[in-house]
Amino acid sequence: MSNIFKRSKAARLIMMVPAAGLVLAGCSEKQVEVQVFNSPDECAAYYNPPAECKAAFDEAQTLHPQVAPRYASQQECETDFGTGQCENAPVLAANNTEQRSQSQQSSGFFMPMMMGFMAGQMLSRGGMASAPAQPTASAARSAVATQPLYKSRDDRNTFRTASNTAVASKPGATSVRPSAVQPKPATLAKRGGFGSQAAKRSASSTGG
Amino acid sequence: MKRVNSTPRPGWQAFAESVGFNFHTFDGEPYWDESAYYQFSLQQIEHDLEQPTEELHQMALDLVADIVTSEQQLQQLAIPEQFWQAVRDSWQNQQPHLYGRMDLSYNGNGPAKLLELNYDTPTSLYETGFFQWVWLEDQLMRGALPQGADQFNSLQDKLQQAFAELNLAQPFYFASVADSTEDRGTVDYLMDIALQAGVNCRYIQLEQLGDIDGQLVDLDGFPIQGLFKLYPWEFMLQEEFASTVISSQTQFIEPLWKCLLSNKGILPMLWQKYQGHPNLLPTFFDDGSTLKHGWVRKPLFSREGANIELVTNSGKLFKQDGPYTDSGYIRQELAPLPKFADSYALIGSWVVGDSAAGICIREDNSLITKDSSRFLPHIILD
Repeated sequence: MSNIFKRSKAARLIMMVPAAGLVLAGCSEKQVEVQVFNSPDECAAYYNPPAECKAAFDEAQTLHPQVAPRYASQQECETDFGTGQCENAPVLAANNTEQRSQSQQSSGFFMPMMMGFMAGQMLSRGGMASAPAQPTASAARSAVATQPLYKSRDDRNTFRTASNTAVASKPGATSVRPSAVQPKPATLAKRGGFGSQAAKRSASSTGG
Repeated sequence: MKRVNSTPRPGWQAFAESVGFNFHTFDGEPYWDESAYYQFSLQQIEHDLEQPTEELHQMALDLVADIVTSEQQLQQLAIPEQFWQAVRDSWQNQQPHLYGRMDLSYNGNGPAKLLELNYDTPTSLYETGFFQWVWLEDQLMRGALPQGADQFNSLQDKLQQAFAELNLAQPFYFASVADSTEDRGTVDYLMDIALQAGVNCRYIQLEQLGDIDGQLVDLDGFPIQGLFKLYPWEFMLQEEFASTVISSQTQFIEPLWKCLLSNKGILPMLWQKYQGHPNLLPTFFDDGSTLKHGWVRKPLFSREGANIELVTNSGKLFKQDGPYTDSGYIRQELAPLPKFADSYALIGSWVVGDSAAGICIREDNSLITKDSSRFLPHIILD
């Protein structure tokens, strides 16, 4: 059992002991080209492969119930999105795709219908040069998620993300800043469900 | 095993703070104490501590397999019945564990005696794995320790290896309660090591954990698929989000089955199964009768020496008050901590995965080790 040493070879810290001169790259964010469409058919009409259009649409549709803004009543939802433009929001079960698609149970909330989608990755257009420009490290970081789009009651031309960022007023290619279109779950989480025992016992540590 | 007086490194407090050790002093009293160190022989380390640690660990794991199928034992450990199946599943699905610490009474001779397992939320990790290690290297460099002095402390190496091999969900979250500097220090240290092992780490305060339809979520509402929680399972199972533990698609470190081992009820069960084992003390579930001379009473759930009652062989009673009065008790034969100078010393022996990974020493002026007990470094020298 005897080794040469009984202690660690090194004990380096990188987060607790900040190294001098390590500055986060805070360069200005570059815009990224994406495509927006009302439907997969429209997407295919723009010389995109139908299968890729369908895949992007499906991806957006899966994300839709997770990111669409939620309203306590149909009326409140229709105030923002127009009469007949809202639907029941399902219960969100975990983060597992299989479970998610099975969960058709209504949560009691309402959400706007999906009115289009944004294809984040450049679709490879049929017959045309498909390779996107050099996928550099910075391009990889700034990839935009394929996601559902919505249209408000007062402005039926503009495509908006779930968090109400306007991205285009017509189908086809457009440019966006990735951070502005990062999808976020819309549901309100309950919080503070853990920690009460520690507060009650007021020890200096909950470890030992 | 001996205690050797030593000169503290000049300015060590400022250095400690510069490397994230913000709890080196506790309520104005020293917590980290380098005015002395303990010295062991390699034989003592390997034969009396390292090997028994791995054996005791294996015995404890073997016992888990028994307990999850025994309603009687789950009941004795006060596990709420609605979590029995989840505890069982977490064990039978082989949910991986990261680390633990067992506390031993050992005086340099004869077998070390197991006092308890801290297998859910062990702290003093940073002090052991990092600061104690740096102390040794510093003192060797200064010539304040004999050349060739070593330390039983492969904690950081083994933790880094474990994080690299655990196959954790990414990003992996780390949570501790908001107002504990000590807990935050432990979690920061683990995150730092995990980061070095290539894990994508995020911190979240325990109180900020969210629940959406039974799924644990972070502050942005994203599902938490992996969570290290420096918070006792027995607390979590009685709080508002208790049912989320079952419904959430989350890998927990430590896994739920660890609630069986961090429970002091494991000690009478170990004694029952391995009666007479040289590293075990006679231990039983408490029947409420008066404590005899040479015995200790401890709550099933307690930390930092709280709510412990002890009667010495000569009949002297020691009692430590605390907030853990709402569970059952066990009684254990007293294995008095050895006294060096004016202090009683307790050995914490670390386990990472299933390997012994080093020791830490806590000193107190009383026989009951508490959260305010001083931490002293050690060396191995033959």
